[in-house]
Amino acid sequence: MYKVTFKFESGEDIIAFAALGENLLEVARKTNVAIDAPCSGNGSCGKCRVKVVSGELQSEKTRHISDEEYADGWRLSCVSTVKEDVEVMVPDIASAYRSRMKVADLSSPEEIKIFEQAKSDMLEAGIEFYNSFCVQTVNMDEPTLDDTMPDNERLARAVCEVGGYESAHLTFDVLLKLPDVLRENGFKVKCVVNEEAGRAVIYDVVGADEPCGAYGLAIDIGTTTVSALIADMMTGEIVAKASSGNGQIRFGADVINRIIESQKPGGKKKLQKAVIDETINPLIQQMCAKTKISRSQICRMCVAANTTMNHLLVGMNSDPIRMEPYIPAFFATDSVEARDLKININPRAKIVIAPNIGSYVGGDITAGTLASAIWSKPEFSLFIDLGTNGELVFGNSDFLMSCACSAGPAFEGGDISCGMRATDGAIEACTIDPVTMEPTFTVIGDEGQKPVGLCGSGIIDVIAELFRCRIINPKGIFVREGKRIRHDAYGMGSYVLAFREDAGSVKDVEITEVDIDNFIRAKGAIFSAINTMLNSVDFDISMIDRVYVAGGIGSGINMKNAVNIGMFPDIPLEMFTYIGNSSLSGAYAILLSDEAQEKVHEVGANMTYLELSTTPGYMDEFVASCFIPHTDAGLFPSVVQADEELCK
Amino acid sequence: MPFNAKSMKFNANINTVEIGTGDKAIKIGGENTFPFYTFDAPTVNAPKVGIEISDMGLANEPDCIKAVYAGCESVVDMAKKAVTFEGVDFLALKLEGGDPNGENKPTEELVELAKAVAEAVDAPLVIEGCKNVEKDAELLSKCAEALQGKNVLLMSSKEENYKSIGASAGLAYNQKVGAESSVDINLAKQLNVLLSQLGVNSQAVVMNVGSAAAGYGFEYVISTMDRIKAAALQQGDNTLQMPIITPVAGDAWGVKEASASEADVPEWGCVESRAIDMEVATAAAVLASASDAVILKHPVSVATISKMIKELA
Repeated sequence: MYKVTFKFESGEDIIAFAALGENLLEVARKTNVAIDAPCSGNGSCGKCRVKVVSGELQSEKTRHISDEEYADGWRLSCVSTVKEDVEVMVPDIASAYRSRMKVADLSSPEEIKIFEQAKSDMLEAGIEFYNSFCVQTVNMDEPTLDDTMPDNERLARAVCEVGGYESAHLTFDVLLKLPDVLRENGFKVKCVVNEEAGRAVIYDVVGADEPCGAYGLAIDIGTTTVSALIADMMTGEIVAKASSGNGQIRFGADVINRIIESQKPGGKKKLQKAVIDETINPLIQQMCAKTKISRSQICRMCVAANTTMNHLLVGMNSDPIRMEPYIPAFFATDSVEARDLKININPRAKIVIAPNIGSYVGGDITAGTLASAIWSKPEFSLFIDLGTNGELVFGNSDFLMSCACSAGPAFEGGDISCGMRATDGAIEACTIDPVTMEPTFTVIGDEGQKPVGLCGSGIIDVIAELFRCRIINPKGIFVREGKRIRHDAYGMGSYVLAFREDAGSVKDVEITEVDIDNFIRAKGAIFSAINTMLNSVDFDISMIDRVYVAGGIGSGINMKNAVNIGMFPDIPLEMFTYIGNSSLSGAYAILLSDEAQEKVHEVGANMTYLELSTTPGYMDEFVASCFIPHTDAGLFPSVVQADEELCK
Repeated sequence: MPFNAKSMKFNANINTVEIGTGDKAIKIGGENTFPFYTFDAPTVNAPKVGIEISDMGLANEPDCIKAVYAGCESVVDMAKKAVTFEGVDFLALKLEGGDPNGENKPTEELVELAKAVAEAVDAPLVIEGCKNVEKDAELLSKCAEALQGKNVLLMSSKEENYKSIGASAGLAYNQKVGAESSVDINLAKQLNVLLSQLGVNSQAVVMNVGSAAAGYGFEYVISTMDRIKAAALQQGDNTLQMPIITPVAGDAWGVKEASASEADVPEWGCVESRAIDMEVATAAAVLASASDAVILKHPVSVATISKMIKELA
């Protein structure tokens, strides 16, 4: 056995022992060292780079590591095996997906506006924001030798009297702590109560002077990113919000790789642990610590996630999702409580899972559709969720169609050599001078933040600008030369946005032909899905009245550029609306409103699911869309016109 | 009521591309109807038939082809003989010896050979590369330069090397540019767009949209050609109005029906006639699906297809 020491830029070393020839990425996974490996360790993404500090690894050279970097000790952990004692430095980029967990600042006006908008849209659509959670103040007579009623009956009777319920039920934890709480507080207490099937259920009991509230947790579990919020069940106020990378990322970037990983021995437990113990519970802990909310007062949880994430969360076999005929274990279920999944909130809290409607259209979409309120309007709306899977819903108050296409992780910065999520250091917008080819960009973060990589909106801008300036051709190949354009030993071109000395990272921030090609496929998948779905109901692009864009791509998305590269249909820009993380807004609505909960099941049940892989012509559409803006330029008249004007 | 046949000629035309010089020059394309629909409009330019020889001479050829060129001592001799066969409209010289994974002949040697062949015959000339994209970029560009004034067709530029071949053949030396894609209407169209953005006149482009031997995934070939022609004529898509040339010989002679020896499969009969049958069947089918020219290997196939065209066009 050899000693492998993982070092970090901040944090303590982790020591592991490995056998000769053991894969470094595997060793890291076993010891819970977080190294981001979107491609599941097949050497294609180049994200899992580590630096050898002492000793040596058996490691192949790949195109992701230049000769200089190799000499400097940089290696890809997925193609490295242990051959002696070694110390490796895990750079921040590789472990970024976990360390970037952040509790969002709720003062951000855009954030609040998005939730307010979703709420008002739903109110307008006739959804009442009502649930039966409440906090009751209960004053009881202290027992005496003459009044010998036991504690639990005393509380139940008092609660029924105050709230006018027929009967009351105490959850196990309330029963357990009841004698102490009652006696410490002179039988004056507050209870968190919900009315369920005609009886009161008491979720928590605390002293009358202690803070007490009924809270709910809404959570959007994305394949790449997990976002959560805690809301006051009575007022609807969002008291905390947080997000982080999904801890399952190290087991593969997309749902298929995750399912495959879960089929290995112990895999289901491992993936469930990664999302619950390493992602959801830490998020809850952080939000509770910040707001001083007691976890036992979080009495309901609502999950909006894709079908695979739902299955992996519950810890069940998800393999049938990926195998023909693609049947999930459930669309909707009310069988799950917090204690079943060991989620650190009130153990009896019901977990409401937004219903799935197919193997590849899940609860995140039904929740998002609910939030967008397109089901209530007569106009024809297109709802696009740009995630690892692109999902589309088209329709109005009379019908809804949905489909999913595999866009890959490009919109969230995955599969792109300098890609990253929309956090500090990400280039979120860019313009390029057509003559000098010099870029001007904005970087997320404080004043003076140096660029580290590109987030989804930044990639769209860069590609649109490179194309507009005729630096790349419609296939994404570099056709101009200059100081910022380079070709590597294999002939692959790249454009440097920021040279090493100006970048906040260990390497240049650049975009390569491979990145552009990956992105063109992603945008091609989205556009061809839009076109195919519209054609299947005999509609065309001109009949779309509104487009709602959701997803973690960032509010910085430049719709004009997204149209220019042929990702979105060429219709007037005022028809586009960015609605943020609609899956989370939907989960928030379902959490707070019993009526929304019913509605989301109705929306899910009424949605027609179109399986693109069995739709003739989808492949043709896809190839036609893998071109900037599109092989059929007639679909993008405004782009062609702008190009002609530039030529003049 | 008397029956009045409706003419289904379209308002759009396929581009006419001229290859070669002088009396022997040929025009391909130009049509505004589906193939052989002479009842809709008279044929503009009948499809053309070429015969293919290789820089490797007879080294890799089957016995029946060796017999055809018996007595020829050089590739130039073969070229001279090939153009005399009945029905030959043009000569295709395939420079397969340039392949770095094969003989890897130097570019200069192949360019010299192309020049010698061009000098020796007055038939229009099509130069086919070795299929290696890097080598072809250099080889076909050099051929374009060396054969200035001969108005040859260089086959082919692909997505990976269209820049160098398009620039030399199409822009610098005024030759005709082949545009090769692999059996996909959108990929064919994308390459045409790229070439025209490079500045190559779309009237100087001939497409090879990919092919196969009849029976080998051939329905994709037929469907692609059909849809390209329909888009070009019905929808007037000018990025698909280039004529189509289909090299049939390579695919047809490579399948087991054309190559398995009589000793191995005696029940299949004479290997030469099997090969000719494959070549004729494939060529007839791609012509019926709107190819404007085909490249064949055996003189009997050339004569047969030429006769078919005469009778139908």
